[in-house]
Amino acid sequence: MISLNSNILMNNCLCMSFFSLHDRKVKDAQMRATINSKLVETGERERLKELLRTRLVECGWRDQLKQHCKEVVRQKGLEHITVDDLVAEITPKGRALVPDMVKKELLQRIRTFLAQQS
Amino acid sequence: MTLSGCQHLQKIKTEKGLDSYKILHACFISCKTADARRRKARHSVCHTCRVYELRLHACMSCVYFGCHQEEHIQSHARANEHWIAVDMSYGMVRCFACDDYVYDKDIDKIAKTLNYRSSIPAALNQFAVWQPNHKEVELLRKNCKRRRVEDSSTIGLRGLINLGNTCFMNTIVQALIHTPVLREYFLADRHVCQLLKEENEQCLVCELSSIFQEFYSGISSTYIPYRLLHLVWTSARHLAGYEQQDAHEFLIAALDLLHRHCIAGPNDRSGSSPHNCQCIIDQIFTGGLQSDVTCQMCNNVSTTIDPIWDISLDLGTRLYNGSNTTNISGYSNSPSNYDPTSLIDCLKRFTKPEHLGSLAKIKCSSCGCYQESTKQLTMKKLPIVACFHLKRFEHSTGYHKKISTYVSFPEELDMTPFMSSSKIQNGDINGCTKGLSCKNKYSLFAVVNHSGTIECGHYTCYIRQHKNQWFKCDDHLITRALPQEVLNSEGYLLFYHKQILEYE
Repeated sequence: MISLNSNILMNNCLCMSFFSLHDRKVKDAQMRATINSKLVETGERERLKELLRTRLVECGWRDQLKQHCKEVVRQKGLEHITVDDLVAEITPKGRALVPDMVKKELLQRIRTFLAQQS
Repeated sequence: MTLSGCQHLQKIKTEKGLDSYKILHACFISCKTADARRRKARHSVCHTCRVYELRLHACMSCVYFGCHQEEHIQSHARANEHWIAVDMSYGMVRCFACDDYVYDKDIDKIAKTLNYRSSIPAALNQFAVWQPNHKEVELLRKNCKRRRVEDSSTIGLRGLINLGNTCFMNTIVQALIHTPVLREYFLADRHVCQLLKEENEQCLVCELSSIFQEFYSGISSTYIPYRLLHLVWTSARHLAGYEQQDAHEFLIAALDLLHRHCIAGPNDRSGSSPHNCQCIIDQIFTGGLQSDVTCQMCNNVSTTIDPIWDISLDLGTRLYNGSNTTNISGYSNSPSNYDPTSLIDCLKRFTKPEHLGSLAKIKCSSCGCYQESTKQLTMKKLPIVACFHLKRFEHSTGYHKKISTYVSFPEELDMTPFMSSSKIQNGDINGCTKGLSCKNKYSLFAVVNHSGTIECGHYTCYIRQHKNQWFKCDDHLITRALPQEVLNSEGYLLFYHKQILEYE
């Protein structure tokens, strides 16, 4: 009796965890959208973009990525390169090359902003 | 690349004009007002999948926003033959028939104006490519003579008249004029004077800026720095007068004045933290000197880091007349009281742990007892330009002498052994010297020499014009010099600059 109950309980738990994962993804996307529209509305998004631009230039990220772009263009050939090619090539590399300090700083700014809003 | 877009864009331009682009840009890309931003926040989603995506495009022929990733804007374009769409992050125009982004002069102009207008209320610092305006184009056309800087050109070299024992000032000016990063700063016109118009003549940085302009103008006649001298006299009273002054003292006073004038006017006596700011002088010259005091009892190390503009090195204790060898000991610890004969020796001495002796017991903060301790100086942070001052002048009570012993110095200097990270601290070998890292390597570019005695002497300097070209500056006389001649000279102030500048 007891073992049967525990099996049902376990099954229930598994089902619930599956749903909550899906829910969480949806909730994440919704939250992202809300935060983003808040950032746009107050103009904070533009300010953060400028800050990020400055930091990425300062730490050499822009130059690194520019170099990488040139290499990609050289490989693919100037005549055959498309914007979509470049975007596909450099997006993952660009994301990986952002230094942790910069990420931390931006996150901190966003957190502070959200704290002020609520 | 023609800036006239593609045929599809031209068709829209002639048929409907660019009003739709203007509206799209003003409403969704470069929002000026809070209303516009609210609208942007609410409506910047793909009409098909209702998701905000980074590469959202707006159709120019109808009201449709589509995302690029999921191909919604592409299918819309193909289904309706609305080939032109605008990227909503930056305002770039995409043509789906040509399958590429296209550029048009008129569109660029609209985008530039709208971006500029929206950046003002948001107080953003827009990074834009420099385009010469009408006045500038005219100026460039009228002054079409270009100066080519080759290996043999002598641009940047001008003699300085001696205005009465001012050779101490002349040599420092020559050294500063040829300091690489400083030169770039002034030639790029980066100094924005903080003073009001009336006090403008008192700004030392402005004066230095015009001296740079004079030196690099291509004129080779001798320059008379009377305005500079007057400014120095009025700002640094202790250097006024016609007697011979110490070049090192002048350097420090000049750097201090420049630093103060960089951040505020000359009359601002608020005394902001002298070495904590971001002015060009601090960025170039300020290094960090780490001082570690180790308690002999408990081995606790207390560390302080002081900002410094130059490194003053003792030259040992022998007197000017080599025959007199009475040791007036400044160091009580050195078992073999050798005198340094090279810059490296001096630096080794400088960074050697020094036993502070029983007369200088310090209360240790961790074990709380008065104990003898050892002190060690190392470089925590290296400046872009390192100035070494060899202490040749002895000023003790009733006794002034100059130490003229020859101290050799290298053309290339590696500061790695003298860094805090290389020193053995607390028994652990901290960070072995990475032989491949060249971020601590320096190159010599200026040497200031003093010839004569302490009562009557003369300053000259050697400066490096190009990679292997040295010139001797003796007030108004500029002559070519061989590198070996420079390295054989006595050396009083040695200026080195970093070989590689890194991102922080």
